[in-house]
Amino acid sequence: MPVRKNTDYTLQIIVVILVVLGLVTLYSTSAYNGKVRFLDSAYYFKKQLFATALGLAAMVLVSRMDYHFFARFAVWGYVISLALSGAVLLVGDSYNGSKRWLSIGPLSFQPSEFAKPAVILLLAYVISRRRRKKGGMLLLVLVIAMVLPIVALVGTNNLSTAIIILGIAVILAFVSDPGYLQFIWIGLAGVGFIGIFLSMEQYRLERLAIWRNPEAYEKGFQTIQGLYAIGSGGLFGRGLGQSLQKLGFVPEAQNDMIFSIICEELGLTGALIFMLLFLLMLWRFMVIATHAPDLFGALICVGIMGHIAIQVILNIAVVTNTIPNTGITLPFISYGGTSVLFLLAEMGLALSVSRWQK
Amino acid sequence: MRLKTFHRKKAVTVFFGCMLTLVALGARLTHLMLFESEYYAQKAQDLHERERDIKAARGEIIDAAGNVLATNRTVCTISVIHSQIREPEEVIRALAEALQMEEETVRKRVEKRSSIERIKTNVPKETGDQIRALNLAGVKVDEDFKRWYPYGSLASKVLGFTGGDNQGIIGLEVKYEDVLKGSDGKILTLTDARGVELPEAGESRMEPIAGNNLYISLDANIQKFAEQAASKVMEKKDADRVSIIIMRPQNGEILAMADVPEFDLNDPFALETDAASLTEQEKQDAWNQRWRNGCINDTYEPGSTFKVITMSAGLEEGVVSMEDTFSCPGYKIVEDRRIRCHKVTGHGAENFVQGAQNSCNPVFIEVGLRLGAERYYRYFRQFGLLEKTGIDLPGEAGTIMHKPEDIGQVELATVSFGQSFQISPIQLAATISSLINGGRRVTPHFGVEVRDREGALLSVLDYPAGKRILSKETSEKVRYILEQVVDGGSGKNAYLEGYRIGGKTATSETLPRSANQYISSFVGFAPADDPQVLGLCVIHNPKGVYYGGTIAAPVIREIFSNILPYLGIEKK
Repeated sequence: MPVRKNTDYTLQIIVVILVVLGLVTLYSTSAYNGKVRFLDSAYYFKKQLFATALGLAAMVLVSRMDYHFFARFAVWGYVISLALSGAVLLVGDSYNGSKRWLSIGPLSFQPSEFAKPAVILLLAYVISRRRRKKGGMLLLVLVIAMVLPIVALVGTNNLSTAIIILGIAVILAFVSDPGYLQFIWIGLAGVGFIGIFLSMEQYRLERLAIWRNPEAYEKGFQTIQGLYAIGSGGLFGRGLGQSLQKLGFVPEAQNDMIFSIICEELGLTGALIFMLLFLLMLWRFMVIATHAPDLFGALICVGIMGHIAIQVILNIAVVTNTIPNTGITLPFISYGGTSVLFLLAEMGLALSVSRWQK
Repeated sequence: MRLKTFHRKKAVTVFFGCMLTLVALGARLTHLMLFESEYYAQKAQDLHERERDIKAARGEIIDAAGNVLATNRTVCTISVIHSQIREPEEVIRALAEALQMEEETVRKRVEKRSSIERIKTNVPKETGDQIRALNLAGVKVDEDFKRWYPYGSLASKVLGFTGGDNQGIIGLEVKYEDVLKGSDGKILTLTDARGVELPEAGESRMEPIAGNNLYISLDANIQKFAEQAASKVMEKKDADRVSIIIMRPQNGEILAMADVPEFDLNDPFALETDAASLTEQEKQDAWNQRWRNGCINDTYEPGSTFKVITMSAGLEEGVVSMEDTFSCPGYKIVEDRRIRCHKVTGHGAENFVQGAQNSCNPVFIEVGLRLGAERYYRYFRQFGLLEKTGIDLPGEAGTIMHKPEDIGQVELATVSFGQSFQISPIQLAATISSLINGGRRVTPHFGVEVRDREGALLSVLDYPAGKRILSKETSEKVRYILEQVVDGGSGKNAYLEGYRIGGKTATSETLPRSANQYISSFVGFAPADDPQVLGLCVIHNPKGVYYGGTIAAPVIREIFSNILPYLGIEKK
């Protein structure tokens, strides 16, 4: 039986630092938009603060619980996320042309954010429960088959989140299986699939063209404004709160493009510190996963690591125009109540696993 | 299931994969922020900066006596910034009242969602101050310069006026644009994406450079005399328009140039007719008609005043002397044409001076024929009549003359007494000035010198005496003959007690001849032995008596009686 240990303090500290830095950056970035749209410069900040408080409570609560407790809800959680993602298609609210929110009174909720931890729990549970070690393609097919319904549901109006869920699934399958070769095939198939997918629709090809030369296209506006912000930063930035690009130039600066404002205000130094914090966080997930008492715990941590890693990498890649623009938020930093709530709950899960280290 | 070694290995693999990707992205970010930073930062800078022009004050136009004829007044532009308005209803009510505008019009502009919306421009400074004192959030009062002409309509067609961007549209305002304009300053401010300025970001200014002052030879007092005299005769004779030029024959400086009716320079776009009923084109035509300076923009058949030119050419070439005698039967036959003298019964026997006094057509036809087409044309060119005078006003009309090869005897005969071709009044005044001033061609002009706002001389506008076009001796003879014209000849109505005045009358019938419309004119100068001032008066389409000697000569006499003492020319 594993030894009961204290929770992982390093991870806790990193989470707190990121959450605090996130709130500061969010306030700085969203103050202008809040003032212009809602005549309240703290509009976004207040909402985020509320969600963060809720999330921190959830984190503490979950971290105190035995993570095995959640195994019972793995299947049901997944079913609920399917139901919610289905419901959002029928009765969801649109914002900026995307139907992604469910409203309950004054609160709004984004089911796709809930889908991520649900998928992590489900896959960790199902994979760790398999008795026979029949790895190979079969496991992979099983995993993909399990997440396909949610990927399809979420993907209808939120392609980016669907890709994240699929990525988490592939990473979990990768860790669960001793082989390497089939994943190389998967990688190649994925590349081929993306190629076919892109060339199927004209507007997707256009997105590629915009990526290669954003200044030549009107739709490259967001990307180019992000680059302007990054370029304005230099080594040490304009200073906290001094961004000009957040004043309506970068559209919705508090959302996907928030990292570009970090670059402008805090410079290369600040931006690299943020990236280092994320890297440290990923390192803690790896350490917790490798010292987990069982496969269930390890896979939970690997799933969370995949989740954070994919979002951070894709977000920064988009902001620096390394890949074509797709809407992915920066964990703990970008505006989004549901996102921060479930991210912190996931942190609670990882912390819970850390208490049962071998 | 238990955690196996390969699980751990793979988790580590995933971590290192992520780490490598993050390191690569960090490298990319470093590249962007250190090596491409300049490019993007510059682009961002361009995006954030807004340039606002500060208008430079336009230079003044100052007359010979030091009167300011064109200056600037501070006016205000009232605008609203939509996002900063707190009490829209109050703003609408207050602005409509202060600016005397329809509430509906103001409402439309106040409620328009734009970064900045202009409510009204050219608002008097007092009204602007009043609005500023109301301290309404979101209402902006910007001060600006507007051209202001203290004398209203005085010398309107000479001075010209400026458009909305303070740029000259007609007259001296156009010709001396470079002198008067100055260069605008700039305010660089940082703005947000809606164009709203960021007060905390500060601003950098480039101060405007004011335009320079133009000093002109025109004298407001003489101009007033000229315009009053012109208006008086226009009203009395029910004429279409009256043009008067007063200039110095020795150097070409113009003292007055009237072309009534003049128009109000402070409201140049006002039309007498209901402007709403006109199309854009009709409006433009009406304005152009109004702003036309008949002294330089139009040509006419000069008639008998042109006999001065024939006289000068004939005397210079020696084909006629003052003592030559002629006989006028009331007409002259040229080829198959019988050309009438204005005196049907004929002037009988007369010498050349008497012929000039009588303004006898057959005498001048005879002189013209003696010169012959080729020589006449040569003098026409020599006197500068084929070229423009070079006056410093835009839109000078050129001479309309027969081609040299088309001049037969009949054409030559008619040109000799000033018909069948057209020149502008300024060309006639400048040419006669040149013929009586001792024989040097002058360039008529207004500009004298340019000074900065403190009065320091920057440049003297140089119009040197041109080439000799007539010998001194002939010039003296011409002056003598023209003095005889006023002294008992057809120009006797220009006679002014105590002064020696030379001059020549003209009465020309306009085309088509059947319309029975006339142009009466008189050109006179004083003193006849040493001309200091020359005046030309052209009356278009007078009703009733239309003889130049009867109606135009008294106009010049009246002006001379006022301005000769004013100019310090003593009675003898």
